[in-house]
Order: sequence, then C-alpha cells, then structure tokens
Amino acid sequence: MLSTAMSIYLDLTREFNAGALRAILSSGQAVVLHGLAVMSKDGDWILRETEAALDHVLGVLERRGARYRFGAPLDVRWMRGGWSSHFEFREGPLRIRTDFVTRPPRLPPDDLAALWREQSSRTIPVVDPRRLAELKKTNREKDYPIIGELARMLEDPRQQILLSRSARDLASQAQAHPELIRELIHERPLLASVRKSLDVLEAALDAERRDLIHANERRLRRYVEAAEAWTSRWPSVQSEMGAMPLRQAHAVVAAKAAGVLPFEPPEVSP
Amino acid sequence: MKAPQDAFLSEEDLDFRNMTDEELLAHWDAWLLQAQATNDQDQDTYTHGVFVTLSERRPAKGGAAVGGGARPLDERGEQRHRGVQRGR
Repeated sequence: MLSTAMSIYLDLTREFNAGALRAILSSGQAVVLHGLAVMSKDGDWILRETEAALDHVLGVLERRGARYRFGAPLDVRWMRGGWSSHFEFREGPLRIRTDFVTRPPRLPPDDLAALWREQSSRTIPVVDPRRLAELKKTNREKDYPIIGELARMLEDPRQQILLSRSARDLASQAQAHPELIRELIHERPLLASVRKSLDVLEAALDAERRDLIHANERRLRRYVEAAEAWTSRWPSVQSEMGAMPLRQAHAVVAAKAAGVLPFEPPEVSP
Repeated sequence: MKAPQDAFLSEEDLDFRNMTDEELLAHWDAWLLQAQATNDQDQDTYTHGVFVTLSERRPAKGGAAVGGGARPLDERGEQRHRGVQRGR
C-alpha cells in the first residue's frame, strides 16, 4: 500500500512540470523536503501565471479524476488577483487535496520572479527556506515555530536576523553583527529591543507574531467578503458540474464565476 | 554546561534531517496514510489559500447546501493531524 502512496506530492510536482517549469512545491510539503516536521496532508503549489501552465495542471488533475472544491477558477484572470484554487481526488487509500496560487502572499513580484529563476534547474522545484518563512507568516500559531526553525537553516545572518523567532538567537546575532542590527531595524522594528533583556525581546516577538497574525486575518477577510456571492452560488455550480471531467467542469466554474467573483478583491475598511 | 536554546520543534521532528531520502519518503507516506483517519473531521476545511477561514459547502443528499460559513481562526484541521503523526 505504501508503494502506491509513495511520494504522491513529488509525483504530482514532476507531472505538473513535465516539459516545462510550471509548479513550485510550497507550504507544508516544502517544509518536509527541508527536513522539518510533517504537518499537513494537503499539497500546495505556486503556479506559473499563464493559461498554458494552468491548463497543463488541469490536465494532470483530470487524469487523476480530480474534482473542484469551492474556490476560485484556476484561471489567470482570478489567479492574478491572489485567489486560490482547490481540488481533490482519491489515490488508493489517500484523499489528496491540491491547492494552487500564482501570487503567494508576502512575496513581492521581483522576489517571486527570482524564485522561478532559482528553481528552473531543480528536479523537484520547492520554495526555499527564506521565502517559505515569509509564506508561513499566517494567522495560524502553529506556523511560527516552523518559521523559527526555517530561520535557523539560513546561512545569511541578515536573513536570520530578519526572520528569527528566538530571543536568544537574536541576542547572539546582535553580539556577532551589531552593524546589521542597526541597519535592519527599519525593516524589523523589534530589533530595537535586541539589547534589552530577554524578557523584553520575547515580549516583542510575541507582539510581532500577533501583528502578523492580524495582518493575515485582514488579508483573508478581503477575499472571504469578496467571495460572498460566489459562496451562495457554489451549491448550484457544484450540482451542474456533477461528475464532469475536470476541464469541462472548469469551463462551467469559470463561466459561472464571471461577474460573481471579482477578479481582484476590493479593499475592505478596517 | 550547554547554554539553553529556544526549542520550536521536537527532537523527533528535527531528526528528519538525519534521515536518508528513502527513510524520509517512507515516513512521509506513513504519516499521510495515518492522517487519513481525520478525513471526516476535516472534509470541509482548507489548509492553504484564501479560504482557510471558511468551511466548504457540500450539497446534501437532496441537493441543498449544508455547512458553509466562516470558521473561527486558528482551528485548522491540520492541527488535529499532529496527533496521528510519527507512527514509526
């Protein structure tokens, strides 16, 4: 049974990238590839924002018998607005869920472009520890210990200082690289506390984590509010899709979402 | 005496780095297999993307929607899976 399940997320990544780089393994499964905890049973990829790439991925999923879950259509028009698309299929004893974005949060466009360049020669393209730490700045408490360990994997002290979740590690960095601390305070204000007591620095880390959590909550709220009409419409869309092959179902989802789910969520008032 | 270090993950989690590729894949698969035990509990949840605060609406047998709506934050299904990991 295990041989059937063996490396399903690696197999999918290879299939998504057959002939061209289209998908970079991200989030929980990327954490596994970096040698840290297994924490998620779902797969998450960053995709190339092209119609051809998205169609290829739909083809792979169709061959696996995948169905759409509630979400945005896997269509460039919505993907460039930061939406996510979600699918599910069975693979032997496993329920496999595949989640996709083309505009991952907290990665600026130039950094995302650099990620694609850096991963171009990889057999299994995977988000690197620094960018993975940025992606893990979510509303979930459990992601912050992962950031802490990812930061320890970084070789560049500048990046360690920007991402560390450990007061002791930061205090050590402050002793070793005082000039970097001064330079990076404007990027990470809690570094102003790095020469104070560990208690003060730990409190600053806690406050920073809460700020990051709330920032992500605000980001998600934009999408949830913008999807309200689409949420109401979804049961009828689901019924219409029935057991259609995925690409056919995709055409239904995209047609029904047009005019209901905005391509880009509007800003919401605080 | 060794200076104390802030610990984020268990020694068992961090031991992944000492595994061979084959050991890591075998452990990964075993974990995924065991994690299927919570499929019913997390059938409507999302672990990635912009809908992680929502429950997926599922049509009931008669075709009407059931479930749906916002879920409290920080109650992701993923967290529950930790209870079935590390089954070596």
